Amino acid sequence: MKKKNIRNFSIIAHIDHGKSTLADRLLEETGALSKRELKEQMLDSMDIERERGITIKLNAVELNYQYQEENYLLHLIDTPGHVDFSYEVSRSLAACEGALLVVDAAQGIEAQTLANLYLALEHDLVIIPVINKIDLPNANPKRVEKELMDTIGFSEEEFILTSAKTGEGIKELLQAIIERIPPPKGCEKDPLQALIFDSFFESYRGVIISTRIVNGSVHVGDKIQMMETNAVYDVTELGVTTPKEEKRECLTAGDVGYIAASIKDIRDVSVGDTITHFKNPCKTPLPGYQPMKSMVFCGLFPIESSKFEDLREALEKLKLNDASLVFEPETSEALGFGFRTGFLGLLHMEIIEERIEREFGIEIIATSPSVVYEIELTDHSVILVDSPSKLPEKQKIYEIREPYIKTSIFTPSEYIGPIMELCQNKRGSYIGMEYIDEKRVNIHYQIPLSEIVYDFFDKLKSYTKGYASFDYEVIGYQPSELVKMDILLNGEVVDALSTIVHKDFAYNRGKAVVENLKNLIPRQMFEVPIQASIGSKIIARTDIKALRKNVLAKCYGGDITRKRKLLEKQKEGKKRMKQIGSVEVPQEAFLAVLKMEE
Amino acid sequence: MVRSCYIHIPFCSHICSYCDFSKMYYHPDWCNRYLTALEKEIEQNYQKEVLETIYIGGGTPSSLSVEELNRLFQILEKLKRSRNCEFTVECNVENITKEKLELFLKKGVNRISIGVQSANPKILDFLERPYRKEEIKRIISLVKEVGFSNINVDLMYAIPGQTLNDLENDLDFFLNLNVPHISTYSLMIENHTKLGNQKVEAIKEELDYEMYQKIHKKLEEFSYEHYEISNFGKIGYFSKHNLTYWKNLKYYGFGLGASGFLSNIRYTNTKQFQNYEQGNFRNFEEKISKKVDMENEIMLGLRTMEGISKIEFIHKFGQKLEDVFPMIQKLVKEKKLLETKENYRIPFSYWYLSNEIIIYFIGEVE
Repeated sequence: MKKKNIRNFSIIAHIDHGKSTLADRLLEETGALSKRELKEQMLDSMDIERERGITIKLNAVELNYQYQEENYLLHLIDTPGHVDFSYEVSRSLAACEGALLVVDAAQGIEAQTLANLYLALEHDLVIIPVINKIDLPNANPKRVEKELMDTIGFSEEEFILTSAKTGEGIKELLQAIIERIPPPKGCEKDPLQALIFDSFFESYRGVIISTRIVNGSVHVGDKIQMMETNAVYDVTELGVTTPKEEKRECLTAGDVGYIAASIKDIRDVSVGDTITHFKNPCKTPLPGYQPMKSMVFCGLFPIESSKFEDLREALEKLKLNDASLVFEPETSEALGFGFRTGFLGLLHMEIIEERIEREFGIEIIATSPSVVYEIELTDHSVILVDSPSKLPEKQKIYEIREPYIKTSIFTPSEYIGPIMELCQNKRGSYIGMEYIDEKRVNIHYQIPLSEIVYDFFDKLKSYTKGYASFDYEVIGYQPSELVKMDILLNGEVVDALSTIVHKDFAYNRGKAVVENLKNLIPRQMFEVPIQASIGSKIIARTDIKALRKNVLAKCYGGDITRKRKLLEKQKEGKKRMKQIGSVEVPQEAFLAVLKMEE
Repeated sequence: MVRSCYIHIPFCSHICSYCDFSKMYYHPDWCNRYLTALEKEIEQNYQKEVLETIYIGGGTPSSLSVEELNRLFQILEKLKRSRNCEFTVECNVENITKEKLELFLKKGVNRISIGVQSANPKILDFLERPYRKEEIKRIISLVKEVGFSNINVDLMYAIPGQTLNDLENDLDFFLNLNVPHISTYSLMIENHTKLGNQKVEAIKEELDYEMYQKIHKKLEEFSYEHYEISNFGKIGYFSKHNLTYWKNLKYYGFGLGASGFLSNIRYTNTKQFQNYEQGNFRNFEEKISKKVDMENEIMLGLRTMEGISKIEFIHKFGQKLEDVFPMIQKLVKEKKLLETKENYRIPFSYWYLSNEIIIYFIGEVE
């Protein structure tokens, strides 16, 4: 395939605006998959993705399309739509020359879409605005067009109207992709420069690298070198995804495909690194990516302490295609050995936890998430603290600073009141508000990130019946009156339950946490006091009364099997609990500090 | 070797609000057909062992007519009995008669268990037991008069609305009956019972516990031994049949919904009359591995005052208790188990929490 007939593009869209359905329709239209083969939302391959209706991982597919008697090769690189995953988006954008901006014809543009669009513009991509779901009865493409013209500056002729559901406009869209998006630059004759934009592990073939060949070419049997890690391997297999894997003998400049090289050590492959030839290397690596900083940290501990090494392996495998995941060993008196793990956001955290439990079969306890605090000590040195347990003694602290964010909340104007109330309750201070059109506004607040980490998303959803969308950018650190709140079970501090809270909120939060714990921890054979404290001062207390009765009184006419079944069930319940001192604590308790009913 | 046999008579003249045993309304035609099937089950399965205990339970065995009872005993003649065989029949206050009692005596029954439950009219009404305390007194005298001395009465407590004072009165009444054995049951509201369907709420755990303490204290005061979680008896009157269960010994279970334990199989019979009548007696069978058997030995033994005998465990399983269950040492240290030269047992203060201790042993043997 000549390079001038190759197009690399990705899709930017908000959750629910029809991105995956549109991608499916493109697969179908280009004959990549027959209708029969098409599972709904083909590109979302993980169970979690399909269940939640979100795309987490990048996926690249190659489509063949004939246009004006010429064959074209279209590489579609699917991208996630959630705020937590903008890092993944920027990775996929780096492998493209163009992007489709997909906006729901009934809902208009959302906060996150705009953020990703700006990323695409930074990468100098050609943007094709696509107004989707025009088949909906409440579709208003004209309004959305105007919105996009006003906010981004598209011209009227640029819009493509589609319905991924009915197939309307798909041909026009393919035509626009070919005509507007430029073919990849780069030269086949130059030394090999290939960008690693993703990778995953297979036990049989080892690490599979997703790559975009920028310059030169690579053949099966070639000796390649990773420029950052210096690892050298022989290429055993090359191919493209259509979305079925199709083996090739070589990949050349402009191609997007996969490389396998019997790579067993997953640490040799680093996303963003450049692959080149061992014998004829290129002079400089590709720019790669700025690694994302983890915003949220929590402790992950296996329920069975013997699963510690399994958990390490699981995290390493997940990190392979998720460079933003960071972790280091952590020890908790209460929970034993585990990992302090950093995430891009709460959804990212949830997804990783779920994948560890599902894909690796390890039951874990996650402690409540924390942001990274900047602590200025009395000697004016500054340390970073990502866990309440690492907070120095009060006397040594000169000042605690916490990260703040600036929100962009897109909402229909009738919800302005409730949203402002929510933001105020979250220690937010008002910055300003812009009208996107006559009915929708973009509200800006400055809020401590730690408040977002709690239940902000859920609250926002319920306050606005799901109509608001939310994005944020971190705007730096500001001093705050923060204190460490400990939780004591049976008189002993449980390190895994400590949190850093604002002084003015400590009393209420303490009360709520002990109440939550009381409801979550089952009665034990003795009375268990639960206390919240700041330093040595107890700010809240409640008691779990002693268990009085757990006995099988009846004889059931000698039905011993039934008795045993009842006991086995109880045993199963106990197994899922963690023994802390002499108290048995269920998993959910460690997140109790999160759930705040105000 | 099988030494015990349970026989279930599912018929009742009246269904009580709390009952979740296998039961059905008494009807002569059904009863006749049932006895035919029961005979078949015994013929097919009984291996001619000499039995040390026989227990006819229900349901309400005393709801059968004298003729039907005669037929039942004729069927049971097939069962060989040792000279001291403990032979119990469960009776209800409302349908036991002198004639039936005399028949029992003639047929070798030597222990009568009466489901009294309470003497408090409020409680009897709640449980839907159709009698008053005068009838109870009269029936107990009658049972003694006919010639039975080994008598059990059931006492139920932890009934919604019941006060500690109500219980105190019931205990006084029961003690006055002057029988050598009292079984006590805290009311469990089970699904698929009248109470369960009405979503009746159980009394508070604390009150239930206080009641248990009170029963224990009072009955011990009157020299009843608290020999098993639910059972009190004067020395020499402990139920041999129930101890078969707690000692993890073998027993036949015949009749609708009955359970048995033969060689290494534990089984439960069908609760469907039609299946039973057609000879499809068993509904559930489970092969008991050595591992499960050892755990059951603990689960059952720890219900008793005696606890688990170290030497009997070795004789039975060829292994030391402490080797199979190393957590025993920890439990002894935490005072959740008491160790003597001969045995391990749960201290009385933890009896009402015995599940919390027993589950340390369940599913532990590899």
